[in-house]
Amino acid sequence: MNNSSRKQYIPAYILAGLVMLAASYSLPRWLPGDFVTAMYSNSHVTLTENQELELRAYYTQRPNFGRYLLDFFTFNWGYSYAFLTPISGLIAGALPWTLLLMGTAHVLSMVFGFIAGVEAAWRRGAMIEKAGVGSMTILQGVPELGIGVILLLFFAFHLEWFPAAGGETAYVNYTTGRWVLDLSHHLALPLVTLFLAYFPGNFLLARGSMVMVLGQQYLETARAKGLPPIRIRYAHAARNALLPMVTRFGLRIAFMVTGVLVVETIYAYPGLGTLLFNAIAMRDLPLIQAIVLFSSLVVLFVNLCLEFVYGLLDPRVKHAS
Amino acid sequence: MHLNARKKLATDPWFITGVALVLIITILIIAGPRLAVHDPHDMSFQPLDHPSSQHRLGVNDGGMDILAELLFGIRNTVAFGLVTGITGMVIGVIIGLVCAWFGGLTDNFLMRLSDILMAVPSIMILILTAAFFRPSPASLGLILAAMAWPGTAKAIRAQAMVIKNSLHIQAARQMGASGSYIITRHMMPELFPLYLIGFASKARMAMFMEASLSFLGLFDPSRKSLGMMINYALKYYYLDIWWNWLMPPILCLTLLIMAVTFLAVSLEKVFDPRLKEVW
Repeated sequence: MNNSSRKQYIPAYILAGLVMLAASYSLPRWLPGDFVTAMYSNSHVTLTENQELELRAYYTQRPNFGRYLLDFFTFNWGYSYAFLTPISGLIAGALPWTLLLMGTAHVLSMVFGFIAGVEAAWRRGAMIEKAGVGSMTILQGVPELGIGVILLLFFAFHLEWFPAAGGETAYVNYTTGRWVLDLSHHLALPLVTLFLAYFPGNFLLARGSMVMVLGQQYLETARAKGLPPIRIRYAHAARNALLPMVTRFGLRIAFMVTGVLVVETIYAYPGLGTLLFNAIAMRDLPLIQAIVLFSSLVVLFVNLCLEFVYGLLDPRVKHAS
Repeated sequence: MHLNARKKLATDPWFITGVALVLIITILIIAGPRLAVHDPHDMSFQPLDHPSSQHRLGVNDGGMDILAELLFGIRNTVAFGLVTGITGMVIGVIIGLVCAWFGGLTDNFLMRLSDILMAVPSIMILILTAAFFRPSPASLGLILAAMAWPGTAKAIRAQAMVIKNSLHIQAARQMGASGSYIITRHMMPELFPLYLIGFASKARMAMFMEASLSFLGLFDPSRKSLGMMINYALKYYYLDIWWNWLMPPILCLTLLIMAVTFLAVSLEKVFDPRLKEVW
């Protein structure tokens, strides 16, 4: 891997962001038909010719790209057709739920996957390692859709341990402690689903890169110095095994986002995924567009930040620049 | 990199399981229209009927035979995976070889382009185009392939650069072989395992995305697909439809994804541990 040239990715992310903005700006103009016909042709409202002209003029006015960018970055994203409220409000309401779900699932699966992977690589060839790799490979073949529905069936309908839908119990006033409990009660099933979906990838990747690190000579040196195994494992070896996890994160994020969309929809969790699902069901194009654009830019931004983390983690990159 | 590969593959349990699953799926696909006694679009049956000898898996809410839907859904998902996998692999191989062979400005430009494409979240572009233009599944597959090639291209390029400077290529050059001859006769066959890995990982991603997008309702509703069946069945979760309606598509989808996952895992393991593609 060419570590010294990771800086090349930074302009790539910025350009990718511009591509997304440009696509989202220009795609609606290629749409056949127009909003006024779509909205009023089947409704009970009959428009006079004058009204129709005015409406048409209103809905066909297009800001130039600069204006569009300005609107976008000031959260002036227009109105949703289906919910009849400002889009930015809808997204702001849904975002914390998605961040809570995806963030927790990601951090947990990353930490546990990494530790399990490092330990597995250390015990390479042992029975428990083989069993772990085998079961994780099988689990990697199960899509979120399957895990989600099966957990829902078992824990929400058969055992009734967990609620089947929503992010919190509606219309109740809890004290903060009870509220957090209620929140985690609702979070449990979607979280476990996502964890099970993300964990195998992290585990196998950490194990793979750790196995390669363990073959290197500086670890012989560390061993020869008589360092305790746990120190060799984490302070010397695992630090370098962490690098591929960071680089691969950006590439796996597309899968992760798809997973969140599906899992939120299954459990009707009130995040961006469910909002997008509803927007698709109601053909609310401005809302779909805003969610897609917003989440892609967030993904790009996270990737960009990771590039800097990568620089911090890998001294070779730091010294090269 | 081919030495002993065949023997290693033949004894790899993942590979054997993967091939067995692929065989089962192929049989289901080929024999599908014969196994399904009813037309999947025929809506004339008793809605939500229980499984019977007439309808092995019962009837859905729209009065359609579930077994027929299932068999046609598998075909559609696999077709999507094949279209995307093959197209993505071909583009990736060509661009990877071109980059490795010509180097310089071409290489630089194509690699920067692939960095950008890798950064763009392809699922979002798919959702946007599917929601706005409702294109046919084949064109969606092609769009996905057009965004999914960089991973393969980079793996091919890296390996081709190594091969390019190896002794036998130098010997071929000494003997006056042309660039196209070396690429087609020496480099392309040598990189063959990488094509398989690229294809399997692309096909896996494509089938995964097809299922998710159809679950979210982004495909033509008259096109049978596993994701859409799960979506509709979930609306009736309170009825006794779990075993005959909800589980079969989930099981089929899982088997499909498992098959390609196992193949990709074993191919990677056997050919080169350093050539891991991204999941």
